Amino acid sequence: MQRIWVVVLSVWAMLAIVAVLAWSSRPVASPPPASAQSVRVVTGPGGKQHLVVVKAPVHATTATSAVVH
Amino acid sequence: MNTLWRTEWRAVGTTCAAAVTARSQDEREVHRALAAAQEEVAACERELSRFDPASDLSRLNAAGGGWTPVGRRLLEALGLAVRAREETGGRFDPTVLPALVAAGYDRSFELLEEREARRADDWRAGTAIELDARNGRARLEPGTSVDLGGIGKGYAAGRALDAMLVASSLAGGIVDLGGDIAVRGEPPEGGPWLVAVADPRRTGETLAVLALDGGGVATSGRDARRFGPAGSLHHLIDPESGESALGGPLTVTVVAPDPVAAEVNATTLAIAGLGEAEAHIAARPRISALYVPHTGPAVPLGRLPLAAERLVVRAA
Repeated sequence: MQRIWVVVLSVWAMLAIVAVLAWSSRPVASPPPASAQSVRVVTGPGGKQHLVVVKAPVHATTATSAVVH
Repeated sequence: MNTLWRTEWRAVGTTCAAAVTARSQDEREVHRALAAAQEEVAACERELSRFDPASDLSRLNAAGGGWTPVGRRLLEALGLAVRAREETGGRFDPTVLPALVAAGYDRSFELLEEREARRADDWRAGTAIELDARNGRARLEPGTSVDLGGIGKGYAAGRALDAMLVASSLAGGIVDLGGDIAVRGEPPEGGPWLVAVADPRRTGETLAVLALDGGGVATSGRDARRFGPAGSLHHLIDPESGESALGGPLTVTVVAPDPVAAEVNATTLAIAGLGEAEAHIAARPRISALYVPHTGPAVPLGRLPLAAERLVVRAA
C-alpha cells in the first residue's frame, strides 16, 4: 500500500514540475521595437551631397504586403 | 515607464504584428489584448478571404446571385467597399475578381502556377452588390464575384486595434498586417508613432519615416505579388480595362485618418499616373501619399507627416 502511495505522489510531483516549467516557458510577447536603417542626404562643403546612414527606431514598417510561404 | 509589448504571427497570407503600450506591468492584460487582436484578424479572415472555400465571401461568390447569409464583418466590409467605389468614381472596384482570376491570380499567391493570362470577356466593372443588414445577408448581381484584397487587411487591422485597446490601462497600440497599419494612442516613448516606408528599390532599406498620432497607413504596388510569364503580370487590375494596370507607380504609400481609407486610396493610386494622383490627393485634404515612380525620386503628395528628424530623401 505504501508503495502505491509513493508512486501516486511521485506522478503528481512530476506533473506539478512539468506544469511549472510549461508556465514559465510559455511564449510571451516581446517588447521590441524594431529599428530601420535610413539614409539621409546632407549637403556638405561645396554643395556636394552625401548619403548618411542613420538608425531610425520605428514601431512598424509599411510595404507592399509580402507573401508568406 | 510605459512598455511596448509586441507579438508577430502569420495570417491573411502575410506576416502580422500587434503591439500595445502598457502603463502597468500587468502581463495578463497585455496578453489578453494581443490575443484579442489575433482572434479578430482570424475572425475577419474567416469571413472575408476568397481563398478559403468555407468563408462567407466564398459562399457569397458561389451563390449565383441568390441572397446569402453572411457575418457582420463581411456585411460591413462590403458596405465600405461599395462606398469606396462611389467615392473613387469606380477606380476602386471590389468586383474585379473575375478579371483577377482570368489574369491568373486564381488561388492564394504562394500556390500560383504559371499559365497563360487571358481577359475576362464577360466581365464588366461596377456590377451590383446588395446588402440587407437587418437580415444579415447579401446578394451579388449574377455573374459578379467580389475580391476584398484592396480593403480587407485595412479593415481587419482597424478592427484588431479596436479589439486590442478595449482594456483601459493600455495607452496605445499598433496593428500591422503585412504593411497595412492601424495605430492609435501613445507610443511608449511619447511623441508620435514612427512608421518606416520600405524602399521598394533597395531591399531592406528605408525610404522615409512617417510620424503619426493615429490613423492608418497602407502601401500598394507592383514590386511584389507578380505572376504570369516571367512575372509580367501583377495583382493591380485596372477596372477600365479589366487587365493588369499598365500605368501607375512602383509603389504608393497612403496616410489616412483610418486604415480602410488608407488601403482603398493606396489601391486606387497604385494604378494612377502622377498627375492623376496629385489631383486625387488635392481633392482629399485628409489624406497624403508618398508616390514612388519606377525611376526617379519619390514624390510626397499632400501634407505627408514625415518625421522631421528622420526625413530621408534619396538621391535619384
